[in-house]
Amino acid sequence: MSCHSLREAAPLPTSTAALDEFHQGLQFAHGELTCASCHLAGPTPSLRRADGERVDLRDAMVLCRQCHGPQARDYDHGAHGGMTGSWDLSTGGRMRNHCVDCHDPHAPRFQPSWPVLPPRDRGITAAAPRRN
Amino acid sequence: MSGPTRRVALKVVGATLGAGAFAYAGRPVAQWAASVDIDDLLRRHYKELTADELAQILHRIEDDTQKKYGVEVRVEDIPAQDGVSFGYALNLSLCIGCRKCAEACHHENNHDRSTNNSYIRVLEMQQGSFDMEHGRVDYDHAVPAPGKYYMPVQCHQCDNAPCVKVCPVEATWKERDGIVVVDYSWCIGCRYCEAACPYHARRFNWRAPEISADEINPDQGYLSNRIRPQGVVEKCTFCLHRTRKGLLPACLEACPTGARVFGNLLDPASPIRYVLEHKRVYVLKEELGTRPRFFYFFDK
Amino acid sequence: MADPVDTVAPPAPPALAPGLTYLRFLSAALRRSFSGSWRFYAWMTVLTAIALVGLNGWGHQLQQGMQVTRMSDHVSWGLYIANFTFGVGLAAGAVMMVIPAYLYDDHDMHDVVIIGELLAIAAIAVCIGFIVADMGRPDRMWHILPGIGRFHWPVSMLTWDVLALNGYLLINLHIAGYLMYQRYRGKAPRKRWYLPFVFLSIGWAISIHTVTAFLYQGLGGRPFWNSALLAPRFLATAFISGPAFVIVLLHVVRWSGRLTFGDGPIRTLTSIMRVTVLLNLFMLMSELFTALYTGGAHAAAVKYLFFGSHGKRALVPYIWTAVTLNVTSAVLLFLPRTRVDRRWLLAACACAFVGVYIEKGMGLIIPGFVPSTLHEVVEYTPSITEWKVTAGVWALGLLILTVALKVGLAMWTGKVRAADAPPMGDAAP
Repeated sequence: MSCHSLREAAPLPTSTAALDEFHQGLQFAHGELTCASCHLAGPTPSLRRADGERVDLRDAMVLCRQCHGPQARDYDHGAHGGMTGSWDLSTGGRMRNHCVDCHDPHAPRFQPSWPVLPPRDRGITAAAPRRN
Repeated sequence: MSGPTRRVALKVVGATLGAGAFAYAGRPVAQWAASVDIDDLLRRHYKELTADELAQILHRIEDDTQKKYGVEVRVEDIPAQDGVSFGYALNLSLCIGCRKCAEACHHENNHDRSTNNSYIRVLEMQQGSFDMEHGRVDYDHAVPAPGKYYMPVQCHQCDNAPCVKVCPVEATWKERDGIVVVDYSWCIGCRYCEAACPYHARRFNWRAPEISADEINPDQGYLSNRIRPQGVVEKCTFCLHRTRKGLLPACLEACPTGARVFGNLLDPASPIRYVLEHKRVYVLKEELGTRPRFFYFFDK
Repeated sequence: MADPVDTVAPPAPPALAPGLTYLRFLSAALRRSFSGSWRFYAWMTVLTAIALVGLNGWGHQLQQGMQVTRMSDHVSWGLYIANFTFGVGLAAGAVMMVIPAYLYDDHDMHDVVIIGELLAIAAIAVCIGFIVADMGRPDRMWHILPGIGRFHWPVSMLTWDVLALNGYLLINLHIAGYLMYQRYRGKAPRKRWYLPFVFLSIGWAISIHTVTAFLYQGLGGRPFWNSALLAPRFLATAFISGPAFVIVLLHVVRWSGRLTFGDGPIRTLTSIMRVTVLLNLFMLMSELFTALYTGGAHAAAVKYLFFGSHGKRALVPYIWTAVTLNVTSAVLLFLPRTRVDRRWLLAACACAFVGVYIEKGMGLIIPGFVPSTLHEVVEYTPSITEWKVTAGVWALGLLILTVALKVGLAMWTGKVRAADAPPMGDAAP
């Protein structure tokens, strides 16, 4: 005998089609993961480590590095992720991007964008119509 | 009219016409000569200036900018720091070719606005090929495009710099921290360095750069981003007016993908050392023996 | 005409006398340069007018910046440096009169060798003119003066070129000036005052063109120039354009009746050209083979030059015209008819001169930049201002050459002499 003999199971959603309210229309493209891979069910939104431990939303990076080891290692060495501020940390701090600043956790591939500042220097301006 | 008189008259008319032609033809040259600033013309080489003379020159540049644009700027000459040797690396696996770096350079370095001038040129390369013959710079579509990768090229601050070698007047030289600089007040505009550079890193001021007063970056370096005069060569200085104060270069800050890694090569804990020691790094046109301080690498 | 008006010179203090004679020599030369027939005036007026057009164009370039040219950061040298390169060849080529005259003791050539020396002077003036025209900041010219500015010698090849060109100018000014001065005074030139300089000038002539080739040849980032064959080709073309110009010049001088001489010098120069035109074509073929058979990136500039690249073909007409002219001149020079009919010879010289002019200018400087170091194909054709300035500098060179020949030949033949000079005939060197 189990609980489910008394009550129908209410499984967590596994695809975006099953989502309500503000989740409607969410595009999901993050490998084989499902919602519950990262989200902990509960009254306050929080995240779930692979071993089931609760993780604060602000500490999402802990979650990311479980799978993205090489990126995390590069990040730790300052070789992944954009930043502003100082290279010389003795003179000032630097502001580093968080994983989710650049990667939407539900669709982490970097989104295409339109390039800025096309070259317009001498010689280029007089060039023949563009070939493509 | 008798012969001799006529000959004299002809000569007088001829001489008058000739003098008029000389005066007319020579006027632009005379006007230009009158516009040449004598103090600027007679000043000595940067390395021969005393601290006082240099301070005066910096002051004058600030005053001239104030007069010309009505903008208050600060022009500093920040020396290279001890124990610092700069290096820069770029992750080709990450770069998406958005040219934000080129745009940041454009604004940071007070470039001529109408030509979109920038020290960075971004090549859209064919996947599977290192041949720049198959690359192009004037791509105009959403990036990254399928089958392409992107390679921004800027000054490589070569340790064996062809541009420094060829300069006939030592207007360009390598500083202690590895940066190749140009003294815009000493360059004679022969453009031999432009012919010598294998990386298309140098630009010539075909005319005085135009930039509106409200867009001028007021934090200026004498050897870097001060507004350049007409007829001289300029180049990327790894934003030395920033980096010598410990700040990151503008192009790195603008990079949305974090493809750019900058730091002190002499510091074993620096990000740049990490990249050089752990990534598959290469330099552009290594066979030319220029020994660049600008490296490319791949993640995967 | 400007025969010296000086009567017997009043007795002057002995210490002053040589200086005074020299001043009289200069003033006689000056007077001679401003007097002549209506033809002379017309010719000088036309040249002056063209030179003034050039001066005006250059003035606009100074004021508005080099945006008035069509050079760019991709093709950063254009018509000016192309003409400079050709001018150096012309100056060096004049040595092809000096070598037979002094090394092989060719007496016929010796009679006309002064023409070669004067041509070298005018050609170097042209070269300096083009360098100044190409500078973004000619006001800072003093920066390149040895000892006064910051002379980046011996590292920068451009500093070598400054020494080579100005040295060659001074050597030739000294030789021509000294020989003329002695003739003016009616004295035999003393060998130790000019012969060492003549031999120096021979080596120096080779060096000016070698150094100029090294200017381009030493740039690893420009595969089109980075070839050991560049300097030999430069010399071969110099020894085409120099003799070709001199042959035409000798005909003009003979026609003007200012100097009489035999056909020996022209024969010698023609023989030299027969060798050098073939040498040049051979080296061109060798370079084409290396580039095109190997293929790859190193062939890109050659392909662009001869066939166009990425649909851009601005240089194709130039180079095929040059090749056609060079081949034509080679064929003409070997035709038996050219030995007897001077019109054919002059046609061959004209073809050779123009052919080399195009090949070494637009055909050698521009393709060094196309494709650019990042393999962008940005084309270049000169602007109106560039043509104006170019015409002006050449006109200035012809002005200098005309005056130099007019004065030089008058002194050489004893038409202008010091009042106290002994009669002609005593002083033949």
